[in-house]
Amino acid sequence: MNPITQQITEVELKDGTRIFIAPTGAKNIVTIEGSVRGGWSMLARSKAEAALIAAELLDSGTSTKSKDGIHEALGKRGASLSFKDGADRTFFSGSCFPEDLLFLLSLISECLADAIIPAPDVISAKTRALGDLEESATDTRTQAAGALSRLLYDKTHVNYMETTKNRIQNLTAIARADVVSFRKSLSREGLVVAIVGDLETSKARTAAEKAFKTLPKGVGISLEERIHQGTYIVSETLVPINDKANIDTYFGTTIPFTYDSPEYLPFVTLSSMLGGRGLSSGHLMRTIRERDGYTYGIYAQQVGFLEKTQGAFRIWATFSPATFTEAVAATKKEITVFLKKGMTEDALSLKKDEMIGNYLIGLSTTRGLAGMLHTIGVEGKPLSYIDAYPSLIRAITLSEVQNLSPLLAPENLSLAASGTFPKQ
Amino acid sequence: MASNASPVPGFTFIQELGGIKEYRLNSNRIRVLLVEDNSVPVAGCMVTYHVGSKNEATGYTGATHLLEHIMFKGSERFNKELGTSMDSLMESKGAIINATTWFDRTNYYEVVPRDVLPLAIEVEADRMRTAYITEEGRAAEMPIVRNEFERGENLPMEALEKEVWAAAFTAHPYHHSTIGWRSDIEGVSIERLQQFYNDFYWPDNATVTIAGSFDEKQTLAKIKKEFGRHPAKATPYPALYTTEPVQQGERRVRVERAGVNMVCLAHKIPEATHVDVPALMLLGSILFEDKTSRLYKAFIDTALATDVSTYCWQFQDPSIFETFVTLTPKTTHEKAETVLRKEYQKIIESGVTAPELARAKQAARASLAARQDGPYALLSSLNEEIATGDWTRFVTLSDTLAAVTRADIQRVAKLYFTSKTSTVGWFVHTLS
Repeated sequence: MNPITQQITEVELKDGTRIFIAPTGAKNIVTIEGSVRGGWSMLARSKAEAALIAAELLDSGTSTKSKDGIHEALGKRGASLSFKDGADRTFFSGSCFPEDLLFLLSLISECLADAIIPAPDVISAKTRALGDLEESATDTRTQAAGALSRLLYDKTHVNYMETTKNRIQNLTAIARADVVSFRKSLSREGLVVAIVGDLETSKARTAAEKAFKTLPKGVGISLEERIHQGTYIVSETLVPINDKANIDTYFGTTIPFTYDSPEYLPFVTLSSMLGGRGLSSGHLMRTIRERDGYTYGIYAQQVGFLEKTQGAFRIWATFSPATFTEAVAATKKEITVFLKKGMTEDALSLKKDEMIGNYLIGLSTTRGLAGMLHTIGVEGKPLSYIDAYPSLIRAITLSEVQNLSPLLAPENLSLAASGTFPKQ
Repeated sequence: MASNASPVPGFTFIQELGGIKEYRLNSNRIRVLLVEDNSVPVAGCMVTYHVGSKNEATGYTGATHLLEHIMFKGSERFNKELGTSMDSLMESKGAIINATTWFDRTNYYEVVPRDVLPLAIEVEADRMRTAYITEEGRAAEMPIVRNEFERGENLPMEALEKEVWAAAFTAHPYHHSTIGWRSDIEGVSIERLQQFYNDFYWPDNATVTIAGSFDEKQTLAKIKKEFGRHPAKATPYPALYTTEPVQQGERRVRVERAGVNMVCLAHKIPEATHVDVPALMLLGSILFEDKTSRLYKAFIDTALATDVSTYCWQFQDPSIFETFVTLTPKTTHEKAETVLRKEYQKIIESGVTAPELARAKQAARASLAARQDGPYALLSSLNEEIATGDWTRFVTLSDTLAAVTRADIQRVAKLYFTSKTSTVGWFVHTLS
């Protein structure tokens, strides 16, 4: 097979910005995934919600374009654009017809550099965001995930999620000046853009260069390493919510390395062997779902592996209230069984085939390829990584995987669950 | 068209439209759709059965979906005892293997690296007639499906939507949701599921779609070899003759429990292939598609709501057009319902503007282009058109949407947005 990178061009504009341009066989669609440095981790905790409101309002007018003008220009072209806040980055995502690529890239750049954040829209966006937070107070999955993060991380860690109550307090206190100040911190610093689909490389390159040259130079934000502090204490917490038919349950633990570590891909492989999503691709799906019938789904996940950040391992499952206690016990037991007996050469070999095949399928859409290129850009990997990934997976050894297994031992896993719990 | 247009004997070439070739296998009348795109080394195989939850009745609601789960328990050639279970064989190659069920159809699919496509065809052909539909499989799968039901019940919108459809349809089986009633999921017998399988899982009630990177001649030969083993059904398919009586007044439902505050307004609309549906689709887009749309300005810009969504459902039988509005904390249900009705009324009375219609058409054009972004998107979209009874809509929809006029939009709004054919649902958050 030809290397995937054969059709992909990487362009550096200025200051290490990375633009990936990938023409594919897709017809009449161009997909854009990108981000710049700047997120809520760079704000004081009490001001973190300013990043959320800013992302919501980046397309609500610039010094030369009204809010309605922007929205109508997008609508007239059948183009889409959205911004989203992150811990360290502000993300953008869009799509358009091939002939509108310059328009969309220029609009992204203008919104990042020059969004005026109208005062009435700040009030409206805050009201909606407060409504979303009120809603999330009865969302079992959100509440269980937040509770787990508070068991795993100390309050200063980037992956510590504030309680809904605290977020409501913080959001209520946010002023337009906080939002404007955050928006002004966005620049071309850390710019990564993937442009994928029905395009000509030379035209897309020209469009990207023209669009992003006006983004201001940043101030040089440097990220510090975020490692786990103090002693992690295994614990459990239940978040009761009335009237719920299902209990969202997370098991989790901290992981003492980053995605740059040589242990990371063996860890991802181990995690997938235990908790892969398919009916047969993970030990827990084969046992807790298929054999025991305790759940519709039980999946292992790597979370919180931001730049220079030690993340976590977690398992998400949904259980019936009537069988919650026994399902939790059965899950812990099966993790033990897997760690003792499940890591074999054959199982690892099958998992590698699965991961490689699945990777190639994931790149078969413009969104999938753009997402992968964006990740490569953010993580500072060379473009060649996209071709190297299968051989990196192929090279993982059983001993590398086995050496990591103590991390996932049930006695190291905290538990957070939310729903309507049966009365004892 | 002449049968000799097929590159493989035994097939009748039916038509080619928009790059999609339709064949029928003469021996058992299974329909085959081929959509070749060699730009990526990935292919998809999908079998769509023309059976869904509308083919169920009280006592076995959810049976189509439960049966879909049991269909993964093994078949004559692909099973755990032989060490050839379909999920492990496919997943170990990186394949995405899954199935979905809805009102009018059930589909099984695999998205695979190109060289795995023949295996996917073997798997699907084998379980078409030799699947293990056993009591052991039912007992194992029932609690899994019940937990899927419980997950859905945790979501306010899903819970409200079930109640709205149940109120809107009193006779037609769109009355019950595809997941079924909990007691039916728990109580349906294996004999009923086996009967369901034997009633509907036949080649002449199915469409095989192959999309992505493949060789046409080899693939048709493989389909003939694998699916050609099965005969067409010898007896007639169970007839579905129930039609929904004309609704003669507004219906209202409430769900009161912990969750969110939400309003749903639904109106009866015709079946997907009806001439008015393209105008209704664009009307839905004008109401809520992007930040220029009417309900965005009425609800989101004003912070009356956190979210709005509209659905112009396109099913084989008449269904409904729905709008859901999730309220911000200080917005009452009464206020939201009034604002929503007012926005509908404005279109009924004054129609829509030319720029609005132009934007809606561009959005539709973009949406149609996205339906072909990779084999999975294509299969998934084509599946819904197959389910309507006319797969060619996948190709012709762009022209029919382009032909819609402002007068059409106002006419369908007047015709279908009537109080007499509406159902209103409120999800009322309680602290209980």
